[in-house]
Amino acid sequence: MKRILLKLAKMREISAILFLIALFLIIGIINPIFLQGQNIMLTLKGSIMYVFLAAGMTFVILTKEIDVSVGAILGISAAVAATMLRNGNNIVLILLVTLLVGAAAGFINGFGVAKLGVPSIVMTLGTMGILRGLMFIYTGGKWVENLPDYFKKASQVEFLGINVFILITLTLIIMIQLYLSRARKGRFFAAIGDNIEGARLVGVPVNRMKITAFILAGIFSALAGLVYVSQVGFVGNVAGSGAEMTAIAACVLGGVSLQGGIGSVVGAAFGAIIMSSINTGLVFLKVPAYWNNTISGTLLILIVVVDALVQRHLSEKAKKQRLMARTSFVKEDVTIEA
Amino acid sequence: MKLKKLLKWETSLVVILILELLIFGLINPNFLRISTLLYSINDFISICIIALFLTFVVITGGIDISVGSIIGLTSIVIGVLWKLGGMNIWLTLPIALLVGAACGAFSGFLIAFTGVQAMVVTLGGMLLYSGLSLVIMGVSGASAFEGISGMPDSFVQLANGSVMGIPNPFILFFILIVLSYLILHKTKYGRYIFLTGINKNSAKYCGVHTKWIIMSTYILSGMSAAVAGIILTSYLGSSRPDLGSEMTLSIVTAVVLGGTAITGGKGGVIGTAVASVIVGMMRFGLQMAGISTQYISVAIGLLLIIAVALRNAAGKDAFRRVIQKNKLKA
Repeated sequence: MKRILLKLAKMREISAILFLIALFLIIGIINPIFLQGQNIMLTLKGSIMYVFLAAGMTFVILTKEIDVSVGAILGISAAVAATMLRNGNNIVLILLVTLLVGAAAGFINGFGVAKLGVPSIVMTLGTMGILRGLMFIYTGGKWVENLPDYFKKASQVEFLGINVFILITLTLIIMIQLYLSRARKGRFFAAIGDNIEGARLVGVPVNRMKITAFILAGIFSALAGLVYVSQVGFVGNVAGSGAEMTAIAACVLGGVSLQGGIGSVVGAAFGAIIMSSINTGLVFLKVPAYWNNTISGTLLILIVVVDALVQRHLSEKAKKQRLMARTSFVKEDVTIEA
Repeated sequence: MKLKKLLKWETSLVVILILELLIFGLINPNFLRISTLLYSINDFISICIIALFLTFVVITGGIDISVGSIIGLTSIVIGVLWKLGGMNIWLTLPIALLVGAACGAFSGFLIAFTGVQAMVVTLGGMLLYSGLSLVIMGVSGASAFEGISGMPDSFVQLANGSVMGIPNPFILFFILIVLSYLILHKTKYGRYIFLTGINKNSAKYCGVHTKWIIMSTYILSGMSAAVAGIILTSYLGSSRPDLGSEMTLSIVTAVVLGGTAITGGKGGVIGTAVASVIVGMMRFGLQMAGISTQYISVAIGLLLIIAVALRNAAGKDAFRRVIQKNKLKA
């Protein structure tokens, strides 16, 4: 029991959860309406899109790459889904095609990074531009509106008093978490990010796993796109622009290290909830909307910097302790000041 | 050997530029008129200016994606100080430069001294600076959609005027190329930037203050974004918070296409300068060819990926050849 507690305390996810609770409490103290069950549900519902994006991003960041095209993938897959919905296609076909669009975009990213050796930031920045342009061309620069009601209502369906989308998200996140931490293949992602040469030597198919990571990021962005269509009810030209930044920020907040190899999808999901509750919270605090970016940006920088400083302090402390232990062992007559 | 290789890449960039001009000239003969070409730079001068100094940042191994939002912020600072603060518009320019430098210094300080990745810090910076410009607009009561316009004519002439038939932005671009070339390739400071990018630790052991070097490159890129903001505000005659928000892709493309390695340690200003004109001409040429602006980001994205992929392939080939040669010798 004690060991489990100790392990829990060391987990980076805990600080994300604590921060989230603190955030809710602070907003709740100023405006108690925020803490009503209904509004908490609303906040959670609003964060689903970002949870999906962050979950996909986690795979990529674990392998020490980055994907800044997820917002654009969200946009184009949302546009495709919405257009097909308007045209009255079969829902199963729509879901398949949308996920395929995401997977294809992810595959292109992964191929460029793993096979052509283009640095991921450059590659995905390029595909971001391409996909944004393609989306404009596809929609002709017009909003996709007049979607069938059944799809819009899907976002409001409840099961046991909880929104179905939240339940689906929860199940998916738990499954991914188990896959990443328990399954043999799932652990390859972190292994690649931790030590790519080492992973290669022990027989991890590095390139294939990297491509898989990007494809998964694409698929999850497409899922986020579907959520977007269902919740928002129309697709504008700028759908999902800037969402990549929120997703990366969510991962970082949740303890997924951009150096690769460290992090969990649960952490990233909590990070995503933090990012979107900041924006919802500001509404409840009656802060004018033009403050949103300033506050999210400041919080992002603040949290990341404080985290980096704390981590550095801890590792330096550990180093010092090791050094002290060694010196005291060698020279017993030397007094060491703690 | 290394210099030769660099020169080779820069010559091929010039060839690409000439090809590009010819193709656009075939599509629309008006494109090749000297005055059109000279004045086209107004459309993409911001990309050129920022790319020059972003090269410094990328050579140290960093990246700055907040430059686009610094353009908007400086533009708003100029507009608000002039219109609502009642200041002389020329006096607002040094303040705008200071704001750019401060933004760069803030990001640079965090990157250099806390060890957080440049990508994350400038990501936060991007949100923060673009947010700040909205806040300044909101607090001062101006409408973000309309912007602040009606700038005095003398200020508008800064970007729209010309000296002996050469447009002012062109002259500015030339001066900045020379300046950045001298700084990066001819001074001790420039060598330190390269050394920091090649191997930060060995640079540190050689007595280079790597942290200050890294921070200073962000200050430079922030200031260049401020200069771009000034020129863009003057060119449009109005200040808007969303100026430059779409430029990040083009700016990074210019730097990478120019031969600067995104991993740091390698690169140069001349390559960036030529590449930024290629990227800018592509935007301008596609517009002139009557292709809708939406295609431009597709073209630039493709250009970025293909350029880097080809360079990588070429590099790998050369590497393989060297290894084979050595094997034969042995």
